[in-house]
Amino acid sequence: MITFEGVTKRYPDGTVALDDVSLECPTGRITVFVGTSGGGKTTALRTINRMVEPTGGRVLIDGGDVRERRPAELRRGIGYVIQHAGLFPHRTIEDNIATVPYLLRWNKKKARATAHELMERVGLDPSMARRYPFQLSGGQQQRVGVARALAADPPIMLMDEPFSAVDPVVRGELQDEFLRLQDELHKTIVFVTHDIDEAIKLGDRVAVFQTGGKLVQVDAPEDLLARPADDFVAGFIGHDRGIRRLSFVPASGAPLTERDVLAADAPVERAREAGDGWVLVVDGDRRPLGWAATGVLPSSGTVGDAALAPIGHTFTVESDSVRAALDAAILSPSGRAVGVDGDGRLVGVADQHDLTAAIATSGAGVAAEPADTPPAEPVKGGAGD
Amino acid sequence: MNKLWNQIDLSWTWLTASAHWHGDEGITHRLLQHLFYSFVPLLAAALIGLAFGLIAGHTGRGGFVAISLANVARAIPTLGLVLILAVVEFSIVPVLIALVALAIPPILVNTYEGVRNVDEDAKDAARGMGMTGWGVLWRAEVPMALPLILLGLRTAAIQVVATATIAAIPGYGGLGRFIVDGLARNDYQLVVGGTVLVVLLALIVQVVFAALRRLVVSPGLLGSARSS
Repeated sequence: MITFEGVTKRYPDGTVALDDVSLECPTGRITVFVGTSGGGKTTALRTINRMVEPTGGRVLIDGGDVRERRPAELRRGIGYVIQHAGLFPHRTIEDNIATVPYLLRWNKKKARATAHELMERVGLDPSMARRYPFQLSGGQQQRVGVARALAADPPIMLMDEPFSAVDPVVRGELQDEFLRLQDELHKTIVFVTHDIDEAIKLGDRVAVFQTGGKLVQVDAPEDLLARPADDFVAGFIGHDRGIRRLSFVPASGAPLTERDVLAADAPVERAREAGDGWVLVVDGDRRPLGWAATGVLPSSGTVGDAALAPIGHTFTVESDSVRAALDAAILSPSGRAVGVDGDGRLVGVADQHDLTAAIATSGAGVAAEPADTPPAEPVKGGAGD
Repeated sequence: MNKLWNQIDLSWTWLTASAHWHGDEGITHRLLQHLFYSFVPLLAAALIGLAFGLIAGHTGRGGFVAISLANVARAIPTLGLVLILAVVEFSIVPVLIALVALAIPPILVNTYEGVRNVDEDAKDAARGMGMTGWGVLWRAEVPMALPLILLGLRTAAIQVVATATIAAIPGYGGLGRFIVDGLARNDYQLVVGGTVLVVLLALIVQVVFAALRRLVVSPGLLGSARSS
């Protein structure tokens, strides 16, 4: 556990980067520091490995003050990942990754073997081991940065906007792999970002910093979305936080029906009887084929002969959120979302009203929040600090 | 044109006559003297220039002073310095000092700029992973600044090799002897021959540094320089 006790950083010119910050980053979890530029989130992160020395308060790791340890020795036990990876251009990929093992005087063979293992772990082909950073794409460099931080298997990882400098598609991949990796490794991670979506996606806990180095709220992401502490937090999250909260409502709670579902070999008359505008056509394995409009059915034959409108996308009932289900409903020609199991077989269909009902029962839809008055301009983005 | 060719032909004859290579006045001896006059100041300048360049570049302090002094030093005419110092002490020492003063600026400026311009992220990562100040300097800053540091050393070496001819003015040896003596005797064969030797030596220095660059600079740095 990393503990901040009234940590303050005041520069000689009077600028306050951190203002009496107290917070706990639980062991084995991801704590995300998010906020506007100049909010002090990076400064806060850097007090943990003594890259910044606070002018007041203490930072403790498992109860021990970080100032009792020599900076270099402290840092070798803490993984460090930064925005542009900061790889050493003169070293090969394997030697970049083995930086801390070399500092810890491991023998070269063991250090390189570890480097190769880690390359696989972060999704890099070990055949790249002898290449140099300039030969890698930005996303690959960032993976090397993560592997390098993991090399000596530190219990703590500090990550300062590690995915901000890559394009959105690669960023999404890196985030997913990062979560998968954390599922295996259970590191205590402090992650800085200016992107609230990234914070909500990755954080077990999210700490929101405001300009002037004030910590305004620390909460689980769903609680942050449900109960922003003040206007600043609400504004920072943005206007669509209601929709975002649906990410935390499981779709399994939505009532699903099998009304208006027909097998492809059913006669068209049955589709006409359904008469609700659309019927969902499934194959013999109950895999959804498409929507048939009841108004334009062929005069005879089976519903399988009808022209089918594409489903758009389905949602997986056990694992997806209501947000995904609602999105599926909105994109569906029938206005209804198709829920499937892990194998892609139909579980049931829900329209937007059914989904709204599920939101209401989960409690996420209750609008009884005292401080729910976001300012007109959401304070979002910023280039980081 | 004919005259020039005639001159070159004469110089070639002078250069290739084996008798001119031997003895105290011979080319071999003068060449060794010249190398000595070049190497000693270069070594001294490298120690001074690298030390101050690395310190200023690494700490970010004293850079302005170091660069300003280096630029002032560049403006001093080397021959003038030799003559002034020769008033104080008439020996080879003024020549060596003048050559040191000539060699320090390129070494100092390039080392300082090389270290100072090392990627901030790489430096931050080096520190954040637990390198000490010395560790950051030796494992990150120096290897990354090496192309510029070598450039500074090469520039200094070529300048010193070319300028060491002034040792002949206060009466010492080296390849400058041929030029100075040739001018005094209107023996242009000697002047051109000596000049050609100096130029060849400078070219050899160039080749040596090119080889050194391939040997000690990481392909990771050369590659990125090529591709950018």
